[in-house]
Amino acid sequence: MEKPKLSSSLEDYLEAIAELVESEGHAHTKDIAARLHFSMSSVTNALQNLAARGLIEYLPNAPVVLTPEGAERAAVIRNRHLAMRVFFTNVLRLDEDEANDTACRMEHIVSEKVMARFVFLAEAITNRSDCASLRAHLEQMMPRLCPSDEVALSPLSELPEGEQAIVVKVSDNLRGKKRFADLGLVPGTLVKMEGHAPFGNLLRVKVMFSSLSLRSEDAANILVRLAEA
Amino acid sequence: MAVRMSNSKTTYRIALAGNPNCGKTTLFNALTGTRQHVGNYAGVTVERKTGTFRAGGLEVTAVDLPGVYSLSSSSPEEKVAFQELMDSPVDLIVNVCDAANLQRNLYLTTQLAELGIPYILVLNMFDDAERNGFAFDIPKLESFFGTVVVRTVGTTERGVAELTETIGKVLDGRLRLRPPCFRYNPLVDEAIGAVAEQVASAPGASELGFPARYFAIKLIEGDQATCALPALRSVAAGLGPLRDRLAARTGMSADTLMADTRYGMIAGACREVISISASSRRQLSDRLDKVMTSPVFGLPIFLGIMFAVFAFTFVCGEPLCQLVEMVFGGLGLVVSRVWPETCLPWLRELVIGGVIPGVGGVLTFLPNILLLFLAIAFLEGTGYMNRAAFVMDGFMHRFGLHGKSFIPMLLGFGCTVPAIMATRTIESRRDRLTTILILPLVSCGARFPIYALFIPAFFAARYRALVLWVIYVIGLAFALLFARLLKSTLFRGEEEVFVMELPPYRMPTAKGIAIDLGERAVMYLHKAGTVILAASVILFLVNSYPKTAGLPEEGLARLRELERTVASRPDDQEARRRLEELRAAQAVAQSRATLGGRIGGALSRALVFAGFENRRGEPDWKASSAIVGAFAAKELFVSQLTILYAQDRPRYVEAMRHVEGEDDDGWMRAALADNYTPLSGFCMMLFCLIAMPCIGTVVVVWRETGSLRLTVAQVAGLTLTAYVTATVVYQLGKLLSLGTA
Repeated sequence: MEKPKLSSSLEDYLEAIAELVESEGHAHTKDIAARLHFSMSSVTNALQNLAARGLIEYLPNAPVVLTPEGAERAAVIRNRHLAMRVFFTNVLRLDEDEANDTACRMEHIVSEKVMARFVFLAEAITNRSDCASLRAHLEQMMPRLCPSDEVALSPLSELPEGEQAIVVKVSDNLRGKKRFADLGLVPGTLVKMEGHAPFGNLLRVKVMFSSLSLRSEDAANILVRLAEA
Repeated sequence: MAVRMSNSKTTYRIALAGNPNCGKTTLFNALTGTRQHVGNYAGVTVERKTGTFRAGGLEVTAVDLPGVYSLSSSSPEEKVAFQELMDSPVDLIVNVCDAANLQRNLYLTTQLAELGIPYILVLNMFDDAERNGFAFDIPKLESFFGTVVVRTVGTTERGVAELTETIGKVLDGRLRLRPPCFRYNPLVDEAIGAVAEQVASAPGASELGFPARYFAIKLIEGDQATCALPALRSVAAGLGPLRDRLAARTGMSADTLMADTRYGMIAGACREVISISASSRRQLSDRLDKVMTSPVFGLPIFLGIMFAVFAFTFVCGEPLCQLVEMVFGGLGLVVSRVWPETCLPWLRELVIGGVIPGVGGVLTFLPNILLLFLAIAFLEGTGYMNRAAFVMDGFMHRFGLHGKSFIPMLLGFGCTVPAIMATRTIESRRDRLTTILILPLVSCGARFPIYALFIPAFFAARYRALVLWVIYVIGLAFALLFARLLKSTLFRGEEEVFVMELPPYRMPTAKGIAIDLGERAVMYLHKAGTVILAASVILFLVNSYPKTAGLPEEGLARLRELERTVASRPDDQEARRRLEELRAAQAVAQSRATLGGRIGGALSRALVFAGFENRRGEPDWKASSAIVGAFAAKELFVSQLTILYAQDRPRYVEAMRHVEGEDDDGWMRAALADNYTPLSGFCMMLFCLIAMPCIGTVVVVWRETGSLRLTVAQVAGLTLTAYVTATVVYQLGKLLSLGTA
């Protein structure tokens, strides 16, 4: 029988209840609210909803108890989360916080089927002996992709006058991206802030050996890192 | 041996391609001299320049492609440049580069090379590059880009002979060039190869004229024009997954991936080819810009320069204008003396009254227009124009206009016709149309004679400057208001991308300015001049026909009797005076009966509320029919009014005789002051300022916008605004008894 789908917030509740039961031995309404940063009233609503679906037993003034079915659902959800987190930390080499965060957002949108296959892939990469060279390659390459968080990036529009910087990333939000690229505003190009227009929002930027003027709204979409003089 | 050019061919086509501001046009002028032809590409307002010259005994036609940074389709210039190369194959491309900014310029070179057409790489402004400490490894550059390099200095024509010789050598097959197949990186090369195979096997692709590889790259970039080619549509439709895969693997969207890859390759090449010995890179230009575009001095400098431009135009232009007027005045007199009244009288009248003043009217503007364009061409040549746009953008942007809109608006103070033509520098169509539509509100030089006549007639000396200023400011205020309005209604939409290069300051060449000036003069005479001439002749007819006797039967009899009396008794002052009076009355009746007079009469019934009312409170048909005349050219309002008051001239000349400091127009001012209140006068000026632009402007707007509907809407909108504004001012003024004395 197909299980009725739960909304992502209801899944979060189930997960939270299971975690509380595991760590504290019981799950009180106010603890659930504190854990999820929700108000008591919305927690009450959600718990009534879950009780109606037969996933928890919810009586006033008593801790919430998972039904056998609820416990099973919670285990599946936690499993998914764990598998993702492991994949993000071990394979993609993201740090703990980013891995946890991304897993939280992804776990709700992935179907059971995709999840099962995904977990299988992750385990294959991590464990199989014929994947050893792949593991070595990933370990070496992953940290090099988008190393942006290592250096402080700032938008070109905020570059102080007279300072030089190197374009690191051009956001897809930049309108007419191709025109700027044609003029040399691509990652790796050295730019220098030359000045601002008397009023309004035009900037004068030296790109290669020519001065370009562009709007600061547009320049805000071009991320640069300061170049050592 | 495979020789690309057959020896039987005697005329060749080459194209000059390069970035904006790389000195391409100067080089084009050096190559072709005055053997040039300027036209327009169909549908867009990008100029198409062609010229011919001889290279090594061969007749060569050169096309000066518009300056572009890339062969994409992100601007009209780029579309046109690519279309030109697609539609009419060239035998050779001369790629002009600014040697001191080679890295950026080579970006276009990589694209041109991929067209598979032999090309010559010209390092222009080579002296500048050397002065700035650049040294080039020419053989390495040649082998890397599969071309031959020629070093030139366009301004002094250094290296031009060598360039001509090289062009000849390549065209007659003595020098064979093979454009290279660039290697970028394995990932990109593999993708290009895969798509190129698909393109090559697509039906109809072999007729496209360029190598499959070129189109493969454009398809990967998602270039609109290329994806829309019928032969490639099916290939383009299937590229989504490949583009996604490339984006996923490079972390960069496919449309800018190629730009990044090309610049990457060029950076590598430049490291090997260019060495920079001094660090004094164009320091003078940078230092100048620190001042010229600075938040503090930028604006005052700009205003100062603009003031100089205007002083130059009008102070130097004045004597020339007077000369033209004198010559045509004299010509009219001579013709009227030589041509007997009895011989073809209607033609005589047409020539003396319509054609000669018409031609004179066209030519009187020429000195001002030429001087204005001389100044503009100079400023453009130095590179200051883009700085002006940079400095003014903050202000213009607030009203929904582009920084570049300022230049046409400035020209608009001189003459609206060249100003509208100058809007071609604005890339965005919406910004351009907005600017064109509001330009007539900028009070042009032709409207000045109206103010010059009216203001002294009605206002005391100490208020005159103020009133003139108010008139100009009202025009500007309306212009900016309408710009704002248009941008938030008719031309609403996402704002265009703004990015503008500020080229290094340079000294323009006299030759370049002279050629530019010649083109402007021809353009004005051809496009505007002919229409103004035709309109003045038509207007002359409207104001002269149908001809009537002007007096009833007994009046005519009385006139003939008086003529006889004066003829027989020359010293009878009383008879002479009465004859003059009668003739004047006849002239008034005659002009009232003409088509112009009738239209004016009809208009006056509506215009009376807007201030076209004489002191007796009657609708004034004279000023109203002068409005009809102002349609041909604004300054004709004055001459028309002068004709209509001519019968009262002796009376007012007499009245003004003892007033000192009055010029020849003095009697006309007296006539105005006698017939209208100052409030009327002010409202008439207001109406002339805002109401429908002259026929020359209307025609140019129509040609430049390519939309008759927009043109008609503009005329109607402006006229309505003028009527409403003048009416509100006049009625309010009357209510408050302002200027009704």
